[in-house]
Amino acid sequence: MIGALGLALGVVLGLLLQPDVPFWLQPYLPIAVVAALDAVFGALRAFLDGIFDDKVFVVSFISNVLIAALIVYLGDQLGVGGQLSTGVIVVLGIRIFSNVAAIRRHLFHA
Amino acid sequence: MGLLDYVTAHSLDEDYAQAAGKRAGAGGEQPRGTRRRVPTLVALAVFGGLVATAGVQTARTEPVRQSSRESLVAQVEDRREELAETRQQIDVLEGAVEEARGQLRETTRVGRALNEQLETLGLLSGTEPATGPGLRIVVDDSDDAADTRQVVLDTDLQRLVNGLWVSGAEAVAINGQRLTSLSSIRVAGDAITVNLQSLTRPYVIEALGDPDQLAARFIDSEGGTWWLNLKAVYDLQFSMSSEESLTLPAAPTPTLRHAHRPGADS
Repeated sequence: MIGALGLALGVVLGLLLQPDVPFWLQPYLPIAVVAALDAVFGALRAFLDGIFDDKVFVVSFISNVLIAALIVYLGDQLGVGGQLSTGVIVVLGIRIFSNVAAIRRHLFHA
Repeated sequence: MGLLDYVTAHSLDEDYAQAAGKRAGAGGEQPRGTRRRVPTLVALAVFGGLVATAGVQTARTEPVRQSSRESLVAQVEDRREELAETRQQIDVLEGAVEEARGQLRETTRVGRALNEQLETLGLLSGTEPATGPGLRIVVDDSDDAADTRQVVLDTDLQRLVNGLWVSGAEAVAINGQRLTSLSSIRVAGDAITVNLQSLTRPYVIEALGDPDQLAARFIDSEGGTWWLNLKAVYDLQFSMSSEESLTLPAAPTPTLRHAHRPGADS
């Protein structure tokens, strides 16, 4: 319940304020979103598994976003930003898919 | 596969399980006050904000991308038009140059002789348009061409044209493509090409020459007998008519590869 509330609050705030993303931050935004998505789905699965923990979620969320952005930043500096982003997206994508599959099993027992 | 398996198996952060284990070890549920929920709320709000911002950002840059694409397309079209105009200009200027050259030659006696020579050579080599009486031959596939043997082949056209040359034709064109000593008649894919331009049926062969003699000689020539045979055996369409006046266009000008001054040793 509180999760949906926070989510709605964030979306509304983002749409209302429409913050201007600084130019140098723009390449990291999509990667950060994907990393955050991974953390959120992980949390949802943990919640359904009955082992959800606030601290773990917040820490994993922040570290996911920061590390994903850091990897892409590092890649950009090394000249392999595109490839590293692809790698990050692939790994996060696989995690998201398997987490969603677990969530689906919980919700529909299928 | 090991890496993929690992990623799939550990898709849920192990910390959750560890935290749960600790909680169980510490004995029962921890107090779950509202205060402890606040970080989760903030984190989810940040997540929502991130998603919204990313969406807004993408939507904001999309029109720019679209308009830049459109302006590129417009630029390409502009350039193409420019190119076509320039080409047309080149044609006009080349014509003017040719005319001026002719006029210049016209001013001297030697030049007039040269002009005449050029005209004769141009008619023979196919670089000048030619007008005069002649013969028009229309050939086509059989009406009910069920068989690949009932269609006109490149070799048939070659024989026909060779027959016309042998019979004394001065200039020959197929579907408006003037034949020169550098022309080819051959199959490319499904179509017959002449001067590298593909033709569509029916094939109209126009030949300049004395109409009476040309027709009679052609029928007697090897090409003529070949075609009468094709008509009789394979039912190909073949019709021949004498024309008072035919105009054959000039062949595309060949690239000048070698030239020397008349009289000079080369």
